[in-house]
Amino acid sequence: MPEIDFLNIFQGIATMVASDPHIAVARVVLIALGIAFVYWGVKGTLEPLIMIPMGIGMACVNAGVLFLSAKTMGTIFIDPIASEPAKLLDVLQIDFLQPIYTFTFSNGLIACLVFMGIGAISDIGYMLIAPVRCMFIAIMAELGTVLTFPIAVAMGLTYKEAAAIAMVGGADGPMVLYTSLMLARDLFVPITIVAYLYLSLCYAGYPYLVRLLVPKHLRGIKMDQKSVPNITAAEKITFAIITATVLCLLFPVAAPLFMSFFLGVIVRESGVKQYVEFLSGTVLYGSTFFLGLMLGVLFEANTILNPKVLLLLFLGMTALLLSGIGGIIGGYIVYWISGRTFNPVIGIAGVSCVPTTAKVAQKEAHDANKFVMILPWAMGACVSGVITSAIIAGLYVTVLQHAP
Amino acid sequence: MESFGGSVKLMLFIYALAAVISLIIAWMIKYLFVVIRMQSNRAERSKKAKAATSPMPSAATPRRKA
Repeated sequence: MPEIDFLNIFQGIATMVASDPHIAVARVVLIALGIAFVYWGVKGTLEPLIMIPMGIGMACVNAGVLFLSAKTMGTIFIDPIASEPAKLLDVLQIDFLQPIYTFTFSNGLIACLVFMGIGAISDIGYMLIAPVRCMFIAIMAELGTVLTFPIAVAMGLTYKEAAAIAMVGGADGPMVLYTSLMLARDLFVPITIVAYLYLSLCYAGYPYLVRLLVPKHLRGIKMDQKSVPNITAAEKITFAIITATVLCLLFPVAAPLFMSFFLGVIVRESGVKQYVEFLSGTVLYGSTFFLGLMLGVLFEANTILNPKVLLLLFLGMTALLLSGIGGIIGGYIVYWISGRTFNPVIGIAGVSCVPTTAKVAQKEAHDANKFVMILPWAMGACVSGVITSAIIAGLYVTVLQHAP
Repeated sequence: MESFGGSVKLMLFIYALAAVISLIIAWMIKYLFVVIRMQSNRAERSKKAKAATSPMPSAATPRRKA
């Protein structure tokens, strides 16, 4: 019988013993965090659609480190830095998640697929109730997306990195993923993880912000239901195709995102049931699942040891907080302009994060006055938020793409 | 290190430009909606007018028997 070395049999433990102590500790912390994400996802504290696959990915990738050669350690999940064609071809045949990473993640396709699904569940008709008001609220709710940029620069990030983390304020996961892939490839994993972590907390955190900034009697203001026009599918399709074309003309660099979102909208309104089900079901949930899994698998010990991660955690929270405050300020401005007939809670929905913030607005208004229905206006602000976030993402990428 | 002053200027530029573009799109959508509504109302009115002026088949007219 050959001599048996137990550490060689259980290589996950052997690599932990053989690696630097800080890497080993980081791996243990990430395994624990992954398990916690799954627990919080299942419990509903965090968004389960992202957190369950992400948590499992994090726990398994940090546990499953093995000796790839005598001196190198790694996993057979993924190699995000492989770009040289010959090496990439090898990796594609070994690492089981590499095809998904190479062909859907690193080129932003997965963000576009999620956006198609979001388009297919978004009713653009709500935006047509009061497009100027909705867009004004949405642009106010981009406060965090722009204010975080100089804050991040002051804290030592480059313009590109600052713009990528500032996009968290837009509260659109695919948009953050896309911007960080275009501007800060080295930081796109921690930035996207921070974004999804905070976005999954929106549903829990924003109600407190609303209650803090809007008194109960204002939260209970009723909206005039008669002012909601009946908008036909043909009208919605007309708006969608014109807006998509204009936005693509203005920002070709973000054209894939615009096209994907409005394609979803048009498919929804076209009434082709099979396509609607495909985009809003299989495509949206399939890509969200793999997005979560990929983020988890990319969250290795080396990522958390990046000194910029703590900074990104702070900046991501600042961006979302400022955007929430900006949205509510926008709600208040419309409330005063409209002669105190507009419910200022709708402002929080301008932050986007379809449809979470709209649901938060409706829930808070309903808690203050059970006869209030503000969901159509909140959804209008929410959809406008997607458009304004995409405009700002397009501007950041266009302006900073060639910056050093 | 990048300049903080430059980032503030860039922030103001991006915010102002995004606001202008967003509001232009909103106005465009608003007026497009108004135009579409006007056209559909006009089409409906002309359809009604056509129906009112066209000779209606009278119930009193006896049908020819085969």
